[in-house]
Amino acid sequence: MAILSRTFDRLTLPGKIVFTVVPLLLVLGAALTAAVVVAGPVVLSFLGDNLPLVRFVVAATIVLLMTIPTAFLIIYMEMKVIALMNLRYGPDRVGPYGSLLSVVHGLKVLAKEDFTPTGVDPIVFTWAPVVVYMASVMTLLVLPFAPGLFGQDLNIGLLYFFAMGGLGVVGLLMAGWSSFNKYSLLGGLRSAAQVVSYEIPLTLSVVGVVLLSGSLSLNQITLDQSGSFLDWYVFRQPLAFVIFFIAATAEANRTPFDLTEADSEIVAGFATEYSGMRFGFFFFAEYVNVFIVAGLTVALFFGGWNAPLAWPAAWAITPHADLAGMGIGLLLALAIIPPAVIVALGMPFYLLNSQVKLWQALIIGFVLFNVVAVGALLGFAFLSFDWVVGLIWFLGKTYLFVFTFVWMRGTLPRVRIDQLMGFAWKWLLPASLLNLFVTALAIVVVESIR
Amino acid sequence: MSFVPGLGLAKGMALTLWRFFQPKVTNLYPEVPADIPPKFRGRLQLLYDEYGTLKCETCFQCAQACPIECIDMGGVDTKGRFAVHWGAPETYGERREESALRRSGRTVPDPVYGHFHEIDLDAVDAILDEVDHDPREMLRILGAVQDAYGFVPVAALKRISQTTGAWYAMLYGTATFYDHLAVGAPETSGVGAAPASDVAFLGALDRALSGHGSDASESRANG
Repeated sequence: MAILSRTFDRLTLPGKIVFTVVPLLLVLGAALTAAVVVAGPVVLSFLGDNLPLVRFVVAATIVLLMTIPTAFLIIYMEMKVIALMNLRYGPDRVGPYGSLLSVVHGLKVLAKEDFTPTGVDPIVFTWAPVVVYMASVMTLLVLPFAPGLFGQDLNIGLLYFFAMGGLGVVGLLMAGWSSFNKYSLLGGLRSAAQVVSYEIPLTLSVVGVVLLSGSLSLNQITLDQSGSFLDWYVFRQPLAFVIFFIAATAEANRTPFDLTEADSEIVAGFATEYSGMRFGFFFFAEYVNVFIVAGLTVALFFGGWNAPLAWPAAWAITPHADLAGMGIGLLLALAIIPPAVIVALGMPFYLLNSQVKLWQALIIGFVLFNVVAVGALLGFAFLSFDWVVGLIWFLGKTYLFVFTFVWMRGTLPRVRIDQLMGFAWKWLLPASLLNLFVTALAIVVVESIR
Repeated sequence: MSFVPGLGLAKGMALTLWRFFQPKVTNLYPEVPADIPPKFRGRLQLLYDEYGTLKCETCFQCAQACPIECIDMGGVDTKGRFAVHWGAPETYGERREESALRRSGRTVPDPVYGHFHEIDLDAVDAILDEVDHDPREMLRILGAVQDAYGFVPVAALKRISQTTGAWYAMLYGTATFYDHLAVGAPETSGVGAAPASDVAFLGALDRALSGHGSDASESRANG
């Protein structure tokens, strides 16, 4: 034992690391292999027996994790797009074109002190951001991203969606009430009044779509819009789309209906007393809400993951790769192709430019190889898997609407609270009722003619 | 004019979208240095030497060269004998330190910087008409002004400079050089006199205290 410890002491630092980590990995690998061999079939059969539960847990985890990059992306988009509309450049320091600035913001928020002011109701104060954030994430669970790619295909998906949307208000109200601050309370009450008012035209405008589709499941509604873009419900329910878009803007507390925050009037409203990651959760929830509202607009009115024009069947290419049939050739290809491509891509730089050294050329080749490989992989996935195509279409359309929300924020001034309420009750509600009436009448007439 | 609902919204949205694609106006400073005009001299600043003395010698070269005549200064000459100044008397400081303060952008709280009384320049104009605004007749003009007013007012110097085209610095130098010319007699240029509002206030105070003191305010105003 003494010999061992003396030998270890004489090692250099890398040696110490290697001689610690490698045996540890060996032991862990052996243990893991043994565990898989022994318990694998049992666990697999257990998971197989509870497949819906497993699916739910996996979907919830993925959705929860997905919100973080989504929020980062939308925050960056908002900073950059509004800056460009103000004739500024916006963030351009961290990362390429400043794209990592929102990540830095997230880290900053994490590192800040989580401060609880005197006089707040600590339990409600602590749970309010959680409620707001979880309401957003739970809404995301029923959104169909691609054929077969959704958290749960609830047959009352739309109802669930609006119920969860209403739950977010509870969180805002909790935050406003527990903050022990009259501006926060004002913000919370405003948000309650606003969201409850706009919930009605929002829901009523969607009923027309539900009547046409005959289903409350978002997946089914998306499926009903397959075909060309003329089958999208926006062309059959244009008024409903306009009402829905306006009401959804108010639901997501976005400009011009961002009275809940209204920085210039009630100093960020319900979030005044929040700091650190609790404030971060409100912030995240807001941007996730933007994504959700945009995604719901796409799913309901713009065909969800359906492409605007059907890909001609004659052009359909299904790449056929018989990986198993290659046998040992597959291993050889994996060993030979990457270095060969790296050298092949890097050599032109080395040979044509005397300034570039060999190792620099090899690095360039490596980067280019990665670009090519990722592109090839994505192309292969796009051609092979239906859901990749659907996901790309869905995200493309969704981010188009996110851009519209940001664009609106860069353009429109905030409305007054009386204008807001008057617009909801005097214009949107009658219009949505009219739309519902006309839709129902048209359906009855068409049915009777048939 | 528009009766189409939402047209204003559409116009605004179109404007911001157009802005989105327009070239940006931000100066990318550390990467791209600012485009400074070749005649830009930066901020005017008075420097102190290692003994804490102002490095300004009150030579007026900067004021003379200033294309927009924005420099006012006052001070004593290098041997500390004569008070010299440049610019209208309500704007210069009598001491270098205060002058430096003025140029640093701060106002100097001193009663000597009160407004001076406007004088009647008809006599100056008549003299100038007589010599046809000829700057070569400058000594004659200045002598006539001295005879007309009993001294050479700064306002008259300014008027002469404006109408003859002679540089104010040259004019000032000429007027201060000759013994028979007295530039800017302090008792009539009004430097140090209390402002009219103060006079009125003090007069009212005197009247209130004495019951009938209109004479007091008169004497105060004259003094």
